[in-house]
Amino acid sequence: MNTDHQASIHNMNEDIIVIKNLNKWYGNFHVLRDINLTVKKGERIVICGPSGSGKSTTIRCINRLEEFQRGSLTVNGVEMIDDVKNIEAIRKEVGMVFQHFNLFPHLTILENLTLGPIWVQKKPKEEAKAIAMKYLERVKIPDQANKFPGQLSGGQQQRVAIARSLCMSPEIMLFDEPTSALDPEMIKEVLDVMVELADEGMTMLCVTHEMGFAKTVADRVIFMDGGEIVEQNTPDTFFDHPETDRLQLFLSQILQH
Amino acid sequence: MPIKEFKPLPAQPAPVSTTGPIAWLKNNLFSSPFNIVATLLILSGLFLILPGLIDWLFISANWTGTTQDACVDDGACWVFIRAWSQQIFYGSYPSGELWRVNLCLFLLAVVIYLSFILPINLRNKVAIPAFLALPFVCLLFLDGRYLGLEYVNTDYWGGFSLNILLAAASIIIAFPFGFLWALGRRSNLPFAQSVSVICIEFFRGTPVLALFFMGSVMLPLFFPEGVTVDKLLRVWIILILFMSAYMAEVFRSGFQAIPNGQYEAADSIGLGYWQKTFFIIFPQVIKVSMPNILATFIMVFKNTVFLLVIAVPEILQVILGALTNSKWLGGHATEGFLFVALVFWACCYSMSMLSTSIEKKLDTSHKH
Repeated sequence: MNTDHQASIHNMNEDIIVIKNLNKWYGNFHVLRDINLTVKKGERIVICGPSGSGKSTTIRCINRLEEFQRGSLTVNGVEMIDDVKNIEAIRKEVGMVFQHFNLFPHLTILENLTLGPIWVQKKPKEEAKAIAMKYLERVKIPDQANKFPGQLSGGQQQRVAIARSLCMSPEIMLFDEPTSALDPEMIKEVLDVMVELADEGMTMLCVTHEMGFAKTVADRVIFMDGGEIVEQNTPDTFFDHPETDRLQLFLSQILQH
Repeated sequence: MPIKEFKPLPAQPAPVSTTGPIAWLKNNLFSSPFNIVATLLILSGLFLILPGLIDWLFISANWTGTTQDACVDDGACWVFIRAWSQQIFYGSYPSGELWRVNLCLFLLAVVIYLSFILPINLRNKVAIPAFLALPFVCLLFLDGRYLGLEYVNTDYWGGFSLNILLAAASIIIAFPFGFLWALGRRSNLPFAQSVSVICIEFFRGTPVLALFFMGSVMLPLFFPEGVTVDKLLRVWIILILFMSAYMAEVFRSGFQAIPNGQYEAADSIGLGYWQKTFFIIFPQVIKVSMPNILATFIMVFKNTVFLLVIAVPEILQVILGALTNSKWLGGHATEGFLFVALVFWACCYSMSMLSTSIEKKLDTSHKH
């Protein structure tokens, strides 16, 4: 199994996420309109757009935090249908980092990290602890292992949240505005971890407005508005030669400062 | 130009006028003309009442003796309470077997204490099974038949120890029931949801007195001939169901206090429904519900005195019995009821203190 994993990392041509004609409604409100998106293994994608444009909703569909009503979504060859087994299989492959960290406040950092490996992957406690410490070292806070989330700064909490997802050895990482709730001085430490992760070949979908991150890390930048994908391109073309007036307007708004 | 070094200012003590006893008096008792008048009125009221009260309660009270004739002074006749103390606390439980009641109360205290001092990794594994086993261990000891002890019929159980043990045994069993009902109420499964809603609304919408009457008078009519269920057992079941309904509502509000992000994070690492419920949601629900759980317990604990209406010899029933005893017809109602009030107040107040300290203990300082 391990060799399979190694081989697949180098195979950049494999489609790991395929979304076709995805449509979603909240009641009568049409939030996602004909989303078509194919993500290759190892690809880094940044999604941006105004609030309410459906970018978070789109990535939340990928691990079924949101249901959709029409279209199809396949993750690593498993089709997302209304079946607990498929949902579980997909969630095993997909890690997610949230805007508000969503650490479990009643558990220590180490317990936050080992919960998944012990109870979902059924690993022995010692092994789970070793994995957790490995990832805590990677996000550079192994000394906080026995503290509670409330005792950590926002940036540290978000790094713990990233480590918690990595402990489940996911194929894909989803980031839902991971730096929007952070103080300016803490954004960098989180972005550094994300850049490192990208360098290692992780498949990543990031909803973010950190345009510097998009320029340096992304293979593709996607712009959404009104529940649809308006434009997608390589970062260079995306920022320097936007094709639509809507993206032009958006870029002029956010890059003015 | 060289860059200036930034030196933070040192912290200074707060001005004296905002701290200390004088400032406290000024801020809390004499802050406005209205407050000055109110303070003076209350002080003069206390001055009028307190001396007489203290005199009646303590100075002219009768403390020693064994019969009514010992009460010669004007004050309270505490001899009455003294003479009846065993009945008040243990009911008619045989004098030689009182250690069994004491043992049960002691076990209850030990289990509560254990859940405080155990390290966190042992707490759930030891304290929860100990709590759940406690009512049944107590039943075995109090009943005695199956342990080779003298059999004591439930008719002889009584007094304040019965109030305590019955309330504790009810809340312990009601805890899991209430949690399941609360889960059911939130469930997407129509069957689980409707059963939970019906149970909760029935037992919450019915006065506990009516439930007691139903249990003691009506329920036996439905039993097949020859089958009898002990009255105390019936009362226990009713208290459990009544309390479960209240606990379910307490837990429901607890569930609503858990941010959606917690569920989403648990989902995203792939935890199943029961894993999510027990590792992530349950501990946080307990924490936010703690004040309400204790409040519900205090309510049910006080409600156990209603059992007198179906002639269960709990503390108030014992007092009423003592007041009509031919040797004690001197009118000691004030002392009797005051004593019951005082005992309940002392218990409920210490439970409030306990609840505050539990809240502090559970607080891992992460309020958002």
